[in-house]
Amino acid sequence: MSKSSAAGTQNKSVISRLGGQKFIVLLVVIGLIIFFGAASPDFRKYSTAMSILDYSYYIALMAIGVTFPLITGGVDLSIGTGLICYSLTGGFLIVQKGWPVGAGMLVALLLGIIMGLFNGVLVAVMNLPPFLATLCTCMITRGLGSIFANRLGISWPTSGTEGSWFRNIFKITVNGTKIPLGFLWVLLLVALMAFVLNHTKIGRYTIAIGSNKEATILSGINVKFYHIMAYVISGFFAGLAAIAYSAVFSTVQPGTGAGFELEAIGGAIIGGVSASGGVGSVEGSLIGVFVICLLKTGLPYIGLQANWQQIITGLVLIGAVLIDIMKKKKEKD
Amino acid sequence: MGEVILTMKEIDKSFPGVHALDHVSFEVRKGEVHALMGENGAGKSTLMKVLTGIYKKDSGTIVYEGKEVEFHNTREAQDAGVVIVHQELNMLGHLTVAQNIFIGREFKKGIAIDDKKMNEEAAKLFDMLHIDIDPSETMSNLTVGKQQMCEIAKAISHKAKVIVFDEPSAALTEAEIDELFKIIRDLRKQQLGIVYISHRMDEIKVITDRVTVMRDGTYVGTLITEECTKDDIINMMVGRVIYEDPKQHSMVPENAPVVLKVEHLNAGRMVQDVSFELRKGEILGFSGLMGAGRTETARAIFGADPKESGDIYINGTKVTINSPEDAVKCGIGYLSEDRKRYGIVVQKTIAENSTMATLEKYMKGLFINKRAERGIAQEYVDSLATKTPSVDQLVVNLSGGNQQKVVIAKWLVRNCDILIFDEPTRGIDVGAKNEIYKLMNKLAEEGKSIIMISSEMTEILRMSDRIIVMCEGKKTGEVDIEEASQETIMNMATREIS
Amino acid sequence: MKKKILATLLCASLAATLLAGCGGSGNDASSASSDAATTDESKPAEDNTADDADAATEAEEDTTAVATTGGDYKFEIIVKSYQSSYWQAAVTGVNQKAEELGVTVNCTGPNAESDIADQVNMLNNAINNAPTGIGLAACDQEACLDSLQTAMDKGIPVVCFDSGIPSAPEGSVLATIATDNYAAGATAAENLYPALKDKIAAASAPVRIGEVNQEATSESITSRGLGFIDKIIELAKADSKSVAVIGNEYYVNNCSDKGDEASADIIIEVAVPAQTTVELCATEASAILNKADTIGMFGSNQVAAEGILTANENLDVLGTDPETSILAAGFDAGSVIKGAITSGKMFGAVTQSPLAMGQTTVEVLTKIANGESVSDVPTQGYWYDSTNMEDASIAPNLYD
Repeated sequence: MSKSSAAGTQNKSVISRLGGQKFIVLLVVIGLIIFFGAASPDFRKYSTAMSILDYSYYIALMAIGVTFPLITGGVDLSIGTGLICYSLTGGFLIVQKGWPVGAGMLVALLLGIIMGLFNGVLVAVMNLPPFLATLCTCMITRGLGSIFANRLGISWPTSGTEGSWFRNIFKITVNGTKIPLGFLWVLLLVALMAFVLNHTKIGRYTIAIGSNKEATILSGINVKFYHIMAYVISGFFAGLAAIAYSAVFSTVQPGTGAGFELEAIGGAIIGGVSASGGVGSVEGSLIGVFVICLLKTGLPYIGLQANWQQIITGLVLIGAVLIDIMKKKKEKD
Repeated sequence: MGEVILTMKEIDKSFPGVHALDHVSFEVRKGEVHALMGENGAGKSTLMKVLTGIYKKDSGTIVYEGKEVEFHNTREAQDAGVVIVHQELNMLGHLTVAQNIFIGREFKKGIAIDDKKMNEEAAKLFDMLHIDIDPSETMSNLTVGKQQMCEIAKAISHKAKVIVFDEPSAALTEAEIDELFKIIRDLRKQQLGIVYISHRMDEIKVITDRVTVMRDGTYVGTLITEECTKDDIINMMVGRVIYEDPKQHSMVPENAPVVLKVEHLNAGRMVQDVSFELRKGEILGFSGLMGAGRTETARAIFGADPKESGDIYINGTKVTINSPEDAVKCGIGYLSEDRKRYGIVVQKTIAENSTMATLEKYMKGLFINKRAERGIAQEYVDSLATKTPSVDQLVVNLSGGNQQKVVIAKWLVRNCDILIFDEPTRGIDVGAKNEIYKLMNKLAEEGKSIIMISSEMTEILRMSDRIIVMCEGKKTGEVDIEEASQETIMNMATREIS
Repeated sequence: MKKKILATLLCASLAATLLAGCGGSGNDASSASSDAATTDESKPAEDNTADDADAATEAEEDTTAVATTGGDYKFEIIVKSYQSSYWQAAVTGVNQKAEELGVTVNCTGPNAESDIADQVNMLNNAINNAPTGIGLAACDQEACLDSLQTAMDKGIPVVCFDSGIPSAPEGSVLATIATDNYAAGATAAENLYPALKDKIAAASAPVRIGEVNQEATSESITSRGLGFIDKIIELAKADSKSVAVIGNEYYVNNCSDKGDEASADIIIEVAVPAQTTVELCATEASAILNKADTIGMFGSNQVAAEGILTANENLDVLGTDPETSILAAGFDAGSVIKGAITSGKMFGAVTQSPLAMGQTTVEVLTKIANGESVSDVPTQGYWYDSTNMEDASIAPNLYD
């Protein structure tokens, strides 16, 4: 026994003590900010930071939510088109039917939860592979959004008009200075969901399902319920993201949204969520999202055309997945 | 041995097409270790799954602590004190040891989980069991043996009164098995009822008080361990006598040429400066404890893992093997210890599996020549006596032994002259084992050369013409069968390397 | 009987695909567009009084000529998308005129203007329905060419509206009803440049004018973009200022003179997002608006113009005074752009007359069906800003 006990535990590397991939990615974020700042004086403006934050809210919120299905070893592809669907429906009720803005927002959230529940049931109860199940709901939400909104593009109340108070949730002007309130909410939600992931049953069993679903079932846990919950969280955050999107961009067009989920999932994976489940953190996902947002916002400043952003984001993702693979290999040795 | 704590009477269970349990009875007393034995498919696991509520019985009664009970799921069984330590480890690798032990019944502080208290409680448990494990360590960082200890700790923490061990020693080293037995004896002293499922006859004699044998879903009989011999148990299991006598002499002719020569092979920590020769028609046994580097050596030769240095000669010619593809071209076939992961595609038919490594030979233009494929597969089904209704049968429906034959067929179809068998009889029941042994002997007689990696001493002694022993990545000994004995081999396998 | 079963099966599979959310978009289009027609009922009344809008007037006159000969014609109308209220107005026009003439129309369109393949598929389906005629607003100038050939071979007349297809097979497109987009883009430049003129003249360093185009494939968008660029170049040269065009390759290579960035007095920077969505247009616009030397912006359609306005939400650099702010010109209308012009965030915009365009399309198709000869009907773009939004000639074209 004594011989094998030495090999029983492994030495932790410096990086893993500092939080592993999260730490590396945080360095990448700082590096990107320095790089773009050095390359373009315009990038250094306060207003640029505001833009980056503004455009990051909806992706960040989606990424917080999708971290949960990803950690179960699944995925939720329906959040992007879902976001547009919920936003269109909420906006339609506000603009065309004269509902109060708050009610429209509630509808968006509720739809998110319902769609999450639907995804969860497909995956956890009907045993559809998550990729397939959410791909189907991705298509369904894409179509539903158009139907709910009568195929019209919708503009949520713009700033200065009646009902635009909800935009102040994300950005408020005090003495002429814009305060990115939304970032505060995102940080609070990250803290909350990090707590949920690490210190509550929902989070614990989310990781357990991603580690070994069979074993979790055999431990006498109501795996179906917790598996569904992961998708409900994802759907709820897609609903929150819908509100953030509407507040920042006001105009919502039917048929769009496909591809948003990839930015959120990409961010989560860059931030250290393992593509095979079981590993990941909410704060890591947030940091990962900022890599994507910085690339998206920063590259135009150094004169690169929009398509380059997608190519470079793809390459960064490959890098992140390679780190994941290398880490696993190291663990094995 | 105390009073009876658990009685299963006339348990009957059928699955579509299979009568898995045919009125089986079984009992456990307080403070006894009761072995449950039988070939694979005899119904041991099914019986235990009925006990712990994973399966619902068709008829029969279970009396536990004097009351008739029926558990509907593992949770209910656990709560009542009936716990199973599974054969496949049910570990959540990404969680910590304490989180694993208390999964499903976490201590809570408000809505938050109280990890600190869980660590403390787990530490207490380990103290009680005299196990040295850090409760806050991530589970995947532990060795298999330590993970098993955690499983046991988890079982104990349920205030278990009956613990079922389902082949607990399958993946353990000798030292770890000793540790396990110490714990089991401890538990016995505390008046727990213990069910011990195992294939290893020597363990049964060492640790158990009574043996109940099952065959084909029926109850055969119960013996007091002290009063019976190994052969008694085996006879009850198979209904026929099996000879497990060691091979007396090498079957390899004096002048047989060397077909494979490995010189100074290095590949990581687990393969250090390994050299050996394999002769035509020889069965070369690789013995050693778990983690001795035998599989790693085989994988390095086969090109599945990268090598750092070393030369390989096939029939006297130096060859470069950087991938399994190169190895197969050199006529080397590798039969993995983990058939389901590396050896076969279970959702494909026998025919498809048989030609997997040789598909180009069975192509007609762009298409697979199904008729030729089935023809060759049938040929090997016949010659290897694979039990199957047809070559179109999905491999998943075959027994372990017959699956192994399909893997062998795959490499024979490929015309491999050198076959590496890694744990050829793991998970295969006693009857089928014999057939695999016969088949290996026949292949050797026909001039194939075989490297056999095995953790079962009896298998090594029975099959090998020559034995190489490894320990901690190094070759620590080489003996001809004439001089080999359990003691000499064990000596080499545990030799301290300075 | 066999046919019936087949039809049922087909319906079932269609329903299945609709459930899956893909492909079904074409089917509900007509119901959606008729909804649009009813909700906008107040509009046509206004429109009829707007006899100054010449396209609309033209439509009025022609209506009397063909109204009596409507018959039971069936037209397929394919729009670019339903994304913006611009297209909703066009569909309203189509439905109004169809009702008036007693013809049947079926309106379809892809989900997004960048769904080129979807639209080609819809066009092919339309051809298979063997309608009396097809009205098409093509998302892409090249993608429809084969289908147009097929339509011609089957003898189905095609009328293009909004966007022309210059390289269409000879004789396949009988008429094009479109804004002269190049001229409309130039109109934006003609109105924006004078406002910037003093600032350009006084500038010691090069100044920048940004242009956001949602794509570089459709005739209407590229023409507008190039019209704006070329007009700026022309006007600047008249003031003996040199111009350089940078950014998206299509626009740089197709403008009249791309100049030299190093020596130019005015730099026109053209940005095209990866997809035609507001948030991506906004990202592109932000980068240009954030540059210290930017003095003007042009968004060449509703989505691009709204993208510029979204970007401004943070930057707050847009206004109507060239000394203190960046002047932005937009294109088309919609509540967001109209609101921005009213509140002084946007300098002005060019609007088309989608309602009249929709009406004229149905009318021209009816004429063709009646055997009359037709020719291209150019419609115009009108500059509007806070001063003339209420004018009778402009107001009817400012859809929400």
